[in-house]
Amino acid sequence: MDRARHPDLVNDVDEVLITEEQIRAKVAELGAMLSRDYEGRTVVLVSVLKGSLPFMADLMRAISIPAQIDLMEVSSYGGTATETSGLVRILKDLSSSIDGRDVLIVEDIIDTGLTLNYLLRYLRGKNPRSLRICALLDKPARRLVEISIDYRGFTIPDKFVVGYGLDYGELYRNLPFIAVLKPEVYSAS
Amino acid sequence: MPSGPNFAHGSEAELARIFDFYQVRWVYEPRTFPILWNLDGVVVESFSPDFYLPDFELYLELTTLKQTLVRKKNRKLRRLRELYPDLRIKLFYAKDFKALLLKYGRIDVAASLTGLEGQARPGEPLPARPGEPLPARPSAQALALRAERLAATARAAAVPVPTGEIPATTIPAPTATSRVARGRGSRRRRNRRLAASLPARPA
Repeated sequence: MDRARHPDLVNDVDEVLITEEQIRAKVAELGAMLSRDYEGRTVVLVSVLKGSLPFMADLMRAISIPAQIDLMEVSSYGGTATETSGLVRILKDLSSSIDGRDVLIVEDIIDTGLTLNYLLRYLRGKNPRSLRICALLDKPARRLVEISIDYRGFTIPDKFVVGYGLDYGELYRNLPFIAVLKPEVYSAS
Repeated sequence: MPSGPNFAHGSEAELARIFDFYQVRWVYEPRTFPILWNLDGVVVESFSPDFYLPDFELYLELTTLKQTLVRKKNRKLRRLRELYPDLRIKLFYAKDFKALLLKYGRIDVAASLTGLEGQARPGEPLPARPGEPLPARPSAQALALRAERLAATARAAAVPVPTGEIPATTIPAPTATSRVARGRGSRRRRNRRLAASLPARPA
């Protein structure tokens, strides 16, 4: 990241929106719900890199039924793919077939819904038996395309958040909580 | 770069690029909704949302003016929702647009794509690529030189050069599908003309 100031994990945080304890409790709650709803089945948890990694790692351990995991990576607008093809691309596809499987997309945050809308269409084309969405954070104020979320952790206000996998310029992902950055962090970029 | 509509504002062009990137179908300004009629039933005010997303049956109005200047647009939107309660429309403010650019790591181009800075000037195309600076407005001397060259070319080709004011009848009336680079002021004028041509409000 090209920035004049040196990032400071502690002092760059303006406000802790969701604490580590709150996240832990919510993940346990979601895990219990999923274990109940998918009882007798083996669910395939599909996580989208990179932001969803901490949530996926915690959620899979909170699920008490058989579960498999898979990872995908999708190019983002503004990245290098914008300059080449001008279209969203699958940078890392699923490792195994999901044909006839119960698939749960594990997302860190849903705001515009653009990436997830693309992903849903892509995964539906692979004929899963069921396809549901579990999102830790839902920011409905920014929604551009409507997405039906089956399992929702927290509905958050219209603020740019980092931490617990979420980044700003690839930083702050390792914060154990969800936080709002000080405005000067952006303006210094 | 594929040819598309001439957007009135750089923010609209950027949003269209984002929709294209995520393969979301969009239509630019497909409809004009009458929202106010005079006592004779003639449309005096209308609203043309910037985008329509057919897959989501959603209209989207993007306004990157300062928050304090969007009161009029908010009022029009309220009126639109009163008159067309089944219509799904979302207003995307400057702060929303900036947050979108922040999310995609493009906050550096926010200033050039919001407010008056991002507005298209009549006759001048918007930058082809996001973040590219808008072309400088041609000077009076440059315009005069251009007119002189055009006249010389026309003379050489023996094409009569119109002098004086062009009669209004020779200027084609705008249509709902016309796409010309224009500022917000000209859009309002166009909307008024469009509104006048719309049918009267049903009794």
